[in-house]
Amino acid sequence: MLEGAEFYFNVDHGYLEGLVRGCKASLLTQQDYINLVQCETLEDVKIHLQTTDYGNFLANETNPLTVSKIDTEMRKKLCREFEYFRNHSLEPLSTFFTYMTCSYMIDNVILLMNAALQKKSVKEILVKCHPLGRFTEMEAVNIAETPSDLFNAVLVETPLAPFFQDCMSENTLDELNIELLRNKLYKSYLEAFYKFCKNHGDVTAEIMCPILEFEADRRAFIITLNSFGTELSKDDRETLYPTCGKLYPEGLRLLAQAEDFDQMRRVAEHYGVYKPLFEAVGDGSGGKTLEDVFYEHEVQMNVLAFNRQFHYGVFYAYTKLKEQEMRNIVWIAECISQRHRTKINSYIPIL
Amino acid sequence: MSGKDRIEIFPSRMAQTIMKARLKGAQTGRNLLKKKSDALTLRFRQILKKIIETKMLMGEVMREAAFSLAEAKFTAGDFSTTVIQNVNKAQVKIRAKKDNVAGVTLPVFEHYHEGTDSYELTGLARGGEQLAKLKRNYAKAVELLVELASLQTSFVTLDEAIKITNRRVNAIEHVIIPRIERTLAYIITELDEREREEFYRLKKIQEKKKILKEKSEKDLEQRRAAGECQEQQIL
Repeated sequence: MLEGAEFYFNVDHGYLEGLVRGCKASLLTQQDYINLVQCETLEDVKIHLQTTDYGNFLANETNPLTVSKIDTEMRKKLCREFEYFRNHSLEPLSTFFTYMTCSYMIDNVILLMNAALQKKSVKEILVKCHPLGRFTEMEAVNIAETPSDLFNAVLVETPLAPFFQDCMSENTLDELNIELLRNKLYKSYLEAFYKFCKNHGDVTAEIMCPILEFEADRRAFIITLNSFGTELSKDDRETLYPTCGKLYPEGLRLLAQAEDFDQMRRVAEHYGVYKPLFEAVGDGSGGKTLEDVFYEHEVQMNVLAFNRQFHYGVFYAYTKLKEQEMRNIVWIAECISQRHRTKINSYIPIL
Repeated sequence: MSGKDRIEIFPSRMAQTIMKARLKGAQTGRNLLKKKSDALTLRFRQILKKIIETKMLMGEVMREAAFSLAEAKFTAGDFSTTVIQNVNKAQVKIRAKKDNVAGVTLPVFEHYHEGTDSYELTGLARGGEQLAKLKRNYAKAVELLVELASLQTSFVTLDEAIKITNRRVNAIEHVIIPRIERTLAYIITELDEREREEFYRLKKIQEKKKILKEKSEKDLEQRRAAGECQEQQIL
């Protein structure tokens, strides 16, 4: 059977692809960022954002304008767009969207589990959950008494159920540190997402698989870096590495043995993609950190995703780029409101 | 406040001795209190200087900490709910100790760490470095805050103590001592006057006695003269 996606992609998904490309065209450009950086107060920022696609999204806000209000409104806008895409999608694009929301769902579930375990009121936490990670059983979390109840009654209906089964058996749910749980869930999620994209084949696989491989390797590096000096053992660390990246299996084994940054760098030098990234990392406080370099690389890959047509990667790329833009705007707004302009140019430029 | 009053006491030499002793006592007391007040003022000024320095430093440190929070949020996303959720026991605690300055006890706060860092693995997947920096900055801010708290309580306590001591010094200097001195002056004048009275009385008595003596001698002579005549008549 012909694999040509261009033959029948537009039947189901053409409208949405056109829409998302239109949205992508309205991302902030370098000129917009230069204007924002020159603002003196948050009011100026609001005026500048009115000329962009954001329009009057802050029109209903009362004084004084704070950075958190800007953040909330931007997130609401992103959610509106995302929900629109999702509601108009057909299979298998809707499964793709579900996979995308799984990462937010994982964060929300961890929050809710924590709240339920500590017998805190769940209502306040519901407000703080990420809107893209909503699932229908969220309010039902507080009826669960123990974590295994939680799992059997609530989580088994959500798309997260298979990830939980990978991570653990029922009786270890109590003692497991929340952070380890979060990272294990994310690892299974990433691997499942990767398999889905790969099985779909076609242009989607060509675009999404490198992005997801990079995400997996990036997580491995960052987890290693952040676990230096903590009480996380090497074996525990190894169980958190997602296996769908380029580093699997030798690189991950080497990383698990690494004890400091230089050993990590040596592991990275075996791989052609990561060697230049590590070389771009500055020393100490002056240059870029490893995380900044990774962010830039991710943004580059997402922008390149738009160069090809007829695949689902555009939706993923758009969401990630929009989130990065939100982070940039919040960063610039914080620098302005705290009058700390030395690092105001450390946002990640997108276009 | 200062009237023309003096202590009501019967003026006598004994009273004078007693008053002199009291005056001496009051003067010694005043000098001691002045020394205490000086010591307290010295410490007060030192604390004031330190408070100014600490507050300036505080401004910088808080600014740095707030900015590192923004940096951490940029890289790690929103971790505030996770952090708030996992709060159970305090890691940094305060002990209150006492410090003594010229008799005034001042509270001093000292912080100590207890327990392990329960947020070690937060931000494991992203932003861990920024979170570590954030924790360090805010820890520094908390330490400074504790120091500032002890300085400010000492400041307030010392202020009270200095006011009280100064009030006492002034009271002794402008009320007690003048009163004793006035009493002393009064006793002395009374005693002098009494002496003068005594002297005058004595003098008057001596005069009277002299007059009496002259009179009685004159009488005697008259009687003798009359007696001789009588004696001569009989013969």
